[in-house]
Amino acid sequence: MAIAVFFVAAAMAVLGGIGVISFHQSIRSVLSLVVVMLALSVEFLLLSAQFVFAVQIIVYAGAVMVLFLFVIALLGPARELGRGRLRFQAWLSGLFVLVLLGLMWAMLQGVQYRQPDSKADMSLFGTVQAIGVGLFTTYLYPFELTSILLLVAAIGAIYLSRKRIDDL
Amino acid sequence: MSTLNIGGSQIDTSWFLLLSAVLFILGTTGVLVRRNPLVILISIELMMNAANLALIGYGAALGTREGQIVVFFVIAIAAAEASVGLAIFVSLFRHTETIDVNEIHILKW
Repeated sequence: MAIAVFFVAAAMAVLGGIGVISFHQSIRSVLSLVVVMLALSVEFLLLSAQFVFAVQIIVYAGAVMVLFLFVIALLGPARELGRGRLRFQAWLSGLFVLVLLGLMWAMLQGVQYRQPDSKADMSLFGTVQAIGVGLFTTYLYPFELTSILLLVAAIGAIYLSRKRIDDL
Repeated sequence: MSTLNIGGSQIDTSWFLLLSAVLFILGTTGVLVRRNPLVILISIELMMNAANLALIGYGAALGTREGQIVVFFVIAIAAAEASVGLAIFVSLFRHTETIDVNEIHILKW
């Protein structure tokens, strides 16, 4: 059962990823990315990461993608103009991507897995409690830095998207 | 190879890593081939999602929570990156009236 769920979600994610890079209208790319994110949230749930599952749907597929949709609605349905100036762009990037995939495949063959810690309490794995305790004890400093980063990003976004850019 | 016990059935961890690798490759292809900056940003988000899947897969294989905490930070940083990047594109579009990265070269001198 779990294997069937894994492969259905994986097929949805790969098809959505192909859609992201092959649709010519950017709004379809964004909606394909939402499909990928929902499929990946199913995979997270299979890996018993409930908290990340909820965050993925609410924050990522919800908030961030709505931001993309707003910007596309603001800029209008802009299409890509004809062919690019780089003649061999598609061929070169296809070659590069194949080399990268081969490297990843070769690395996956040689992975040595450490055996999981049998004493770890797996009943709490991935719950809000386990993640929250980690975030507010061991990882408190990066957590606070993340809040400052988000504040800086919000101020920067407001500053950059003002009406005029000439009088910077 | 490490197997995960999910709901009574065994799934090999490398399946999750392979899916992550394929999605990362698709995102790389999008960044290299497309010339709409919005689609390039969306492809970067796709690569981040693939990395998140690899992190959570390794975390589940090792039985540690650190992978999921790193994914939490990745999602926060992706939100910041998307907001600043989209603001840059909006102001660029106001300035140059185009959305093709071949035409955006005001940083070149």
